[in-house]
Amino acid sequence: MLEMFSALFTGLLQVFNWSTFSLMMIGIAVGFVVGILPGLGGPTAMALMLPFIFKMSAVEAFAFLLGMTAVTATTGDITSVLFGVPGEPTTASTIVDGHAMARNGEAGRALGAVLMSSLVGAIFAGVALAVAIPVVRPVVLSFGSPEFFMLSLLGITFVASLSGEDQLKGIVAGGIGLMLATIGLDPISGIQRYTFGQLFLWDGIGLVPITIGFYAIPETIELAVLGTSISQQKVEKLGGVMEGVKDTFRHWWLVIRCSALGTFTAIIPGMGAATTQWLAYAHAVQSSPDKERFGKGDVRGVLGPGAANNSTLGGSLITTIAFGVPASVVMAILLGAFIIQGIVPGPDMLIPPPKGKLDLTFSFVWVIIISNIITVAVCFLFLNTLAKVTQVRGSLIIPLILLLIYLGAFAEKNAFEDMIIVLLFGGLGWVMEKLQWPRPPVLLGLVLGPLAENRLFLASDNYGLSWIWRPGVLIIFAVTLVGILYPLIKKKREEKTSPTAAPTTVEITPESGLQFGWPVIFTASVIILLALALWQSRNFGVRAGLFPWVIGTPTLVLALFQLAKDLKGHKKISEPAFEGEMAVEVSSAVASRRTWTILGWTVGFFVAIWLLGFSYAVPLTMVLYLKLAGREKWPITAVMAFGTWGFFYLLFERMLSVPFPDGLIFTLFKGQ
Amino acid sequence: MGKKLILLALALMVSFETASAASADDFYKGKTIRIVVGFSAGGGFDTYARAIARHISKHIPGQPAVVVENMTGAGSLIAANHVYKVAKPDGLTIGHFIGGLFLGQVLGQKGIEFDARRFEYLGAPITDHVVCAMTKASGITSVENWMASKTPVKMGGIAPGTSTPDNATRILKAAVGLPIQLVTGYKGTAEVRLAAESGEIAGGCWGWDSVSVTWRKALDSGDAVVVLQANRRTHPDLPQVPQAIKLAKTDEGRKMIDVGIHSDSDIVRTYTLPPGTPKDRVQVLRKAFEDTLKDPDFLADANKSKLNVDPVPADAIEKDISALFKLDPAIVGKLKDILYN
Repeated sequence: MLEMFSALFTGLLQVFNWSTFSLMMIGIAVGFVVGILPGLGGPTAMALMLPFIFKMSAVEAFAFLLGMTAVTATTGDITSVLFGVPGEPTTASTIVDGHAMARNGEAGRALGAVLMSSLVGAIFAGVALAVAIPVVRPVVLSFGSPEFFMLSLLGITFVASLSGEDQLKGIVAGGIGLMLATIGLDPISGIQRYTFGQLFLWDGIGLVPITIGFYAIPETIELAVLGTSISQQKVEKLGGVMEGVKDTFRHWWLVIRCSALGTFTAIIPGMGAATTQWLAYAHAVQSSPDKERFGKGDVRGVLGPGAANNSTLGGSLITTIAFGVPASVVMAILLGAFIIQGIVPGPDMLIPPPKGKLDLTFSFVWVIIISNIITVAVCFLFLNTLAKVTQVRGSLIIPLILLLIYLGAFAEKNAFEDMIIVLLFGGLGWVMEKLQWPRPPVLLGLVLGPLAENRLFLASDNYGLSWIWRPGVLIIFAVTLVGILYPLIKKKREEKTSPTAAPTTVEITPESGLQFGWPVIFTASVIILLALALWQSRNFGVRAGLFPWVIGTPTLVLALFQLAKDLKGHKKISEPAFEGEMAVEVSSAVASRRTWTILGWTVGFFVAIWLLGFSYAVPLTMVLYLKLAGREKWPITAVMAFGTWGFFYLLFERMLSVPFPDGLIFTLFKGQ
Repeated sequence: MGKKLILLALALMVSFETASAASADDFYKGKTIRIVVGFSAGGGFDTYARAIARHISKHIPGQPAVVVENMTGAGSLIAANHVYKVAKPDGLTIGHFIGGLFLGQVLGQKGIEFDARRFEYLGAPITDHVVCAMTKASGITSVENWMASKTPVKMGGIAPGTSTPDNATRILKAAVGLPIQLVTGYKGTAEVRLAAESGEIAGGCWGWDSVSVTWRKALDSGDAVVVLQANRRTHPDLPQVPQAIKLAKTDEGRKMIDVGIHSDSDIVRTYTLPPGTPKDRVQVLRKAFEDTLKDPDFLADANKSKLNVDPVPADAIEKDISALFKLDPAIVGKLKDILYN
């Protein structure tokens, strides 16, 4: 015990060694910027920084890398709240309520809440990591594939809470996510599912480009259509920051529960912050007695994910440190840092020195906590400046966001195809947003699908059917059941007690006849795609086909119900979220013209990258956009275009040598 | 006048081309060599490549910059096809993807767009040493009681077609007749190890260089035991551990182990150049690669990262690969059957 405390103290001292501390500060600075910039994500940055750690000592290297990672989720939240564009794929969930608050003029409160809850989450992560050390190995080892399968199933049931008011759409969306997850080589028999002969689809479609596309592109379109700065109202002063901080303590138990949720779920390999943020959001919705404000700017919808996406790091680290099993993408890269440093994660990391490296493990704990304290403090100092960015003209911001979207999508795996994925899912996300289909269930299905499928087969291969009776499985099953039934029972009881509760939604049924609008077209396309997918899956064989059938069939049936609803034109119109609060009115003719224009620019940027390569496309599109779409003056245009290009060229081409592909035109000329 | 100009330009271009081709020394000055690695940053393939990238420059005349580029996907097949089809054969691109793909080509694996015989080879920093490690809790502590097990012993796998654990385990099952139930679908050998520790499976068969480092503690305490190895030469760390090839029942079985495990271990971490790379540059890079693997600075780096170095020269790799293409069709058919069904 004494040794533990001494290791805890040594760990702290190690972090405050001046070279370690300054490297951590550099890490924090990098993470700060990467977090704020949309598109560019923590894992990408970490992979790019990996070559620099060869010359560092172990403590320095991890202080540098962990400091960087630990703060991306914190500053990423800021971008999500202010811009509605996810700063990190792991902060997409804070958009839902955080950005709604910002549009309601409560940006300050949202930021205060998200920063404070992030800090709580990070501290929770650090403490959990430290406390878990003596018990982590037996606890994790008591979990096998059956329990992992049940946990992913439990996660999938959270779709219901993420569906908002329209449960049917939500469940269909979850089904679509699960179906999308089956794209790629099936993990058991190696059969290609829906790969269309494309090698890049063998590993499935990446969560990062999908999340970026899903949230960043619709918001960019929105920004262009409104033709304003991000904040539609004038933010006089950033009031309410303290209010947000107080909110964190007002909903203290929610914040703690979501922190715990983040940490504990992340112990499971395959569950990173990309998942836990949504589980936390779902939990915040589910556990709140009054749900009406969610999606329209409820601070609880900010606090939950804000805490969880930070606390996840602690959980992922537990698995990585104690077993050498990378729990997420970030951890896989961190494991590389372990290899480079010649440190073997495993039991040794949990034993006090001189036999083990517990002091190093404790230095991780300190880095997570200290780096977040520093970051949050710095953020509070500069909040007003940060918030002012939202008042910059949209025309200056849009080309930057577009660049970062494509850059982030490409640089994650150096894969050109990921930019196409961003574009496709940007389109899908935009349509879904317009037609009020919830997007989070798609993401949740996408992440949990492979986990569930893999673990189901591993469980049955290892245990036959007897895995069903394992105590862990039964316990998780009971929890799942309670999770599903409790809200239903509660609702029933509430209806009994107050039968005249005012309905929050109004059913509008049109006079007569069938409706053939965009909703019908979209639902019909979903049905056609699902049917085609099911038709194709007939050749997959039982093992590879099981999941597509089991998911595809009910999803198809439910989608048919949805189609019937769309045809009847039953529309649940909830109180429009921002009407009346919207400072800018745009006539529909203008809106439609602007929509087509920005769609053109978005696709055009991609085409330019494709034809000319990044190096030429970046300055060219910048100048064209600023002059033609933004009607900016030449000086501003030149400064912006040159500055962006310089930043891009120096950092990504020269320093980090990201292998950007040559433009098609040049390869054609050179090749032949 | 115009014609003359064009001729002059052409002459200049030709002389420039020949000049640059004539001496690889000048060629590399101020250039950047990219090592295209088919796996993500932080993995084993990546770490070796980065260690090599840090030291190979000083062994190349002209001291070019050397960077590592990760091109992930399809178990590094995307990188393999890229190096073959897309990368310019100018001596500035080095490819590093999993060598199991060469056998994959012979067996008709889907998606392969290269012909292994046309790559130029640089060599490999290490030959793999395949071992089967089991937990004590599984009760399988020697190959004898493994053989005697009445129920199939559960072994972890990643995906069909993966050199280790999947291919090795399947071949051992067929060639030695060990009672094995391969449970595949774990994400990497780390998860296999975790599943073995939690008691879900008995163990797995993959490289000793990874097992010996990541499972050190359990090996020392006797909680994990290496019961079998499949190597051309008995590994010095494992003198007592029986060799699979000696336990194989038939010639066919021995041949399968030799091709599917021994050869594969030699070529699994091969570094390649695109087909058509100028011969002089191939020579320069081969020599540089060889010298790097002997460079004390490189070895110090590798030692710090616990990366073993046991180089396989380029000609040995060429020999292994050309042997793959001369296999008896019966063996090819049998291997296809075992590995992909």
